[in-house]
Amino acid sequence: MRRRTAIAVALALALPAHARAAESVPVGAVEILSGPNSAYGIAIKAGLDLALAAINGKGVLGGRPIALTVEDSGGTKDGAINAARKLIGRDKVVAIIGPTLSNEMFAVGPVTNGRGVPTIGTSTTAKGITDIGPFIFRTSLPEADVVPVTLRKAIARGVKTIALLYANDDAFSKSGFDSMKAAAEAAGLSIIDIESFGSKDTDFSAQLTKIKALKPDAVAISALVEPVSGVLLQARQLGFGKETLFIGGNGANSPKLGQIAGAAADGLLVGSPWFIAKPDKLNQAFVAAFRAAYGKDPDQFAAQAYDTLFILAEAIDRAGAATPEKIRDALLATDHTGPLGPFRFTDHRDPASTEGVVVLEMRGGVFGIAE
Amino acid sequence: MLAQQLVNGVLLGATYALFALGFTLMFGVLRVINLVYGFYFTAGAFLALWLTEAGISLALALPLAAIGAGAIAVVVDGLLLTRLRRAKADELSSLMVTLGAVLALYAGMTAWLGPDIRRLPPGLVGAGALDLLGVRVTVAQVLILAASGVLVGGLLWLVRGTRLGLAIRAMAEKPDAAALMGIDTARLAALVSFVSGALAGAGGVLIGLNFNAIHPYMGEAMMLRGFVVVIVGGLGDIVGALLAGLLLGIVEVLTAGYLASGLKEAVGFAILVLVLWTRPAGLFGRAGVARA
Amino acid sequence: MPAWLEDLYWTYQNVVTALGVNGLLALSMYVVLAAGQLSLGQAAFMGLGAYSSALMTLWFGWPFWLVLPAACAAPVAFALAVGGPTLRLSGVYLAIATIGLGEVLRAVYLNVDALGGALGLSGIPEQASPLLIFSVLGVALAVLWLVGRSGAGRAMEALREDATAAQSMGIDVRRVRLVVLVASAVLAGLAGALSAHATDFIGPNDFGFEPAVTILSFALLGGIGSPFAPVLGAWVLTLLPELLRGFADLRLVLDGVVIVLAVLFLPRGLLSWRMPRRAA
Repeated sequence: MRRRTAIAVALALALPAHARAAESVPVGAVEILSGPNSAYGIAIKAGLDLALAAINGKGVLGGRPIALTVEDSGGTKDGAINAARKLIGRDKVVAIIGPTLSNEMFAVGPVTNGRGVPTIGTSTTAKGITDIGPFIFRTSLPEADVVPVTLRKAIARGVKTIALLYANDDAFSKSGFDSMKAAAEAAGLSIIDIESFGSKDTDFSAQLTKIKALKPDAVAISALVEPVSGVLLQARQLGFGKETLFIGGNGANSPKLGQIAGAAADGLLVGSPWFIAKPDKLNQAFVAAFRAAYGKDPDQFAAQAYDTLFILAEAIDRAGAATPEKIRDALLATDHTGPLGPFRFTDHRDPASTEGVVVLEMRGGVFGIAE
Repeated sequence: MLAQQLVNGVLLGATYALFALGFTLMFGVLRVINLVYGFYFTAGAFLALWLTEAGISLALALPLAAIGAGAIAVVVDGLLLTRLRRAKADELSSLMVTLGAVLALYAGMTAWLGPDIRRLPPGLVGAGALDLLGVRVTVAQVLILAASGVLVGGLLWLVRGTRLGLAIRAMAEKPDAAALMGIDTARLAALVSFVSGALAGAGGVLIGLNFNAIHPYMGEAMMLRGFVVVIVGGLGDIVGALLAGLLLGIVEVLTAGYLASGLKEAVGFAILVLVLWTRPAGLFGRAGVARA
Repeated sequence: MPAWLEDLYWTYQNVVTALGVNGLLALSMYVVLAAGQLSLGQAAFMGLGAYSSALMTLWFGWPFWLVLPAACAAPVAFALAVGGPTLRLSGVYLAIATIGLGEVLRAVYLNVDALGGALGLSGIPEQASPLLIFSVLGVALAVLWLVGRSGAGRAMEALREDATAAQSMGIDVRRVRLVVLVASAVLAGLAGALSAHATDFIGPNDFGFEPAVTILSFALLGGIGSPFAPVLGAWVLTLLPELLRGFADLRLVLDGVVIVLAVLFLPRGLLSWRMPRRAA
């Protein structure tokens, strides 16, 4: 009896050696899954999960599946830091995707960078993200790259004067405003007024009345989608009509804008690295797969997260080993084409090209290409 | 432009006053800082949302939602506050217990309904706007002004013109004496909860209609402004709440319009602190307050 | 240290830091509550300490052993400036006034570009190790313990129980209140400086209404019979979100429920043991 046990034990010990060939590669993600901003994190997770299923059909590094652990940051700085530390310290992930908000990245980046774990932001667009350190990447186009494209379209339509409106209490919106201001000045537009509000504000009548009296050709709004919707609704109540062109930053780039603001959002222009009706095959396949899996349309956040996981998987393959250092170097050599079009990193780990940026216009609650 | 800004201020102020009415009642009569008030506000808005989505008209949905919110208030306040009232606990305890409860309630509601913003079905009120003398006002905003007036008037009548109101005022001034005189303080407290909750619910519907945004955390944003209005107006002072609300709205709008829009949020708090330093009983000085 | 232990420590280092910082904040709440004041300015003092210390490091490059005590200057100055009119209020009015002041400060942080506005200040070098933080906490506990046992502690308790009687017994009520407020400012300012130099990044939203209320809940849960009680409350409420990590959405619900249950069923806090005092 004891001999059989010994053989059984020996076999059991020998098995892991075989199982190791299919041992998973641990990857982590820090996203906001609860609390007020969870809509973004949940969309991102949906994109990641969809990509994971597709990638693990084949696996990386010769058939090894990626084991993705998504931790909830709760939208707080401490929550994000604790989540990142847990992923690196206990789950031993080789790379991290996220966090969701620029604010969180400023807190988490130094930690992950200090441990040499490549960190890829898919939705962080503030200035200075990649300055945090050589292990910090981002696949989300900084506002500084997108806004000039949008403004060019506006100028082509005859806009000469512009008013700027932004949420002054959140890092993303403030950074977006800085980009808008710089881009407007560089494009030769005359900035006739600058107003701000708080992200949780619901009344913008004072600011809008002041702007209306100055009669600018365009009004650019840098804020998350809820305040942008509120501004548009109130603007229409106060009598803003077709003669004023509204321009949104990245926060406006969400199907929720049409849901919340309805007809008030018609005519809004926003630059986007992605567009649901982009006709190329890869994008349409992604959209169809997303609809099949979740029963609703993907947004920009889901699309970017989806693309990013593929980029990471390709980098892992290129690195030839599941080590953070090699993955980082391999990421720099990324040359990927996905639903967002062709993608490369700059030497500074930002997205290299803006050729995929399209200017969208809201019509009847849905985005279409702007003429 | 000044005329439009003043109108903006009055309209904004009316929303603040509307929000603060039930809050000041609760504070003034029951000596309770009821932070769950913001939740009843939100609950009223959601009830109206579901009712109107089911096809019921706004004229009917509004009172139904208010009654619903009032009922919820009676239950929740009863659970949380009865024990404290019997133990004659201080205001700090009510602040904390309602704080914990409202955190849990907001989070629970978000977990159940999701954080997305919803709109009331379009076309509930005419989408038109009036253009008088260069000033634009929408139908919804007129509705809010009218409703605020009606509610303030109704509340004043209740408190000053009825026996019930007399009992409420007696309880506010001297709860022990009131009990000794045969006033059923427990039932009265429940009634005050109901009225306060119903006012919150009505406010939620109207404000949700005006800003076209209904979401689980909507009460939270109004809460801090509510403090300002209640303190500046004087605790338990209904007319004070109305005047203070209008004042706050006008000052905020004029600050944003003529000084700097970044200061809009802070100006209310600056006024709050100044009032507390100089006239803590409120600008209109009719409520009593404990001084050190 | 074996590798697995090092990793474990590194994983939870931020939680450990938070335990120390929140302990200090709980003590800053304790000193005012022990004297019967419901001042909720701790988050505001913390913000002043955090911002001033971050600027000293980032702009002037001062060494940390200088920055830490210097970080108390701004909160203390603020306490002295607003203490006069504010301390005349009592109960809930004092609480609301201090919250209002905190919001005014937050508006300053948001609107002054040099302070980084909404983007806050980042890149603060990591100079506050958990060891340092807990040493400061330990010293604070020791000092408060000794003071509490002495005549000064008795004066504070007398003030808390009945301010008028205390005054008639010759206790200078106004002075005690101001001293207590300044002590609260020092403790919270230290907490702010340490926290800023442990997490590299601070922003205006770290010091507003919600953090102020969280600090209050530390003392409420733990009790104020002795300096250890609020620290215990702080530790429970700091660890709770981490322990509930698997529960995402429900975590906030549970946080709230814990506070409700504590107030209703533990009116004297978790640690209702009261400090013995030296005989008069």
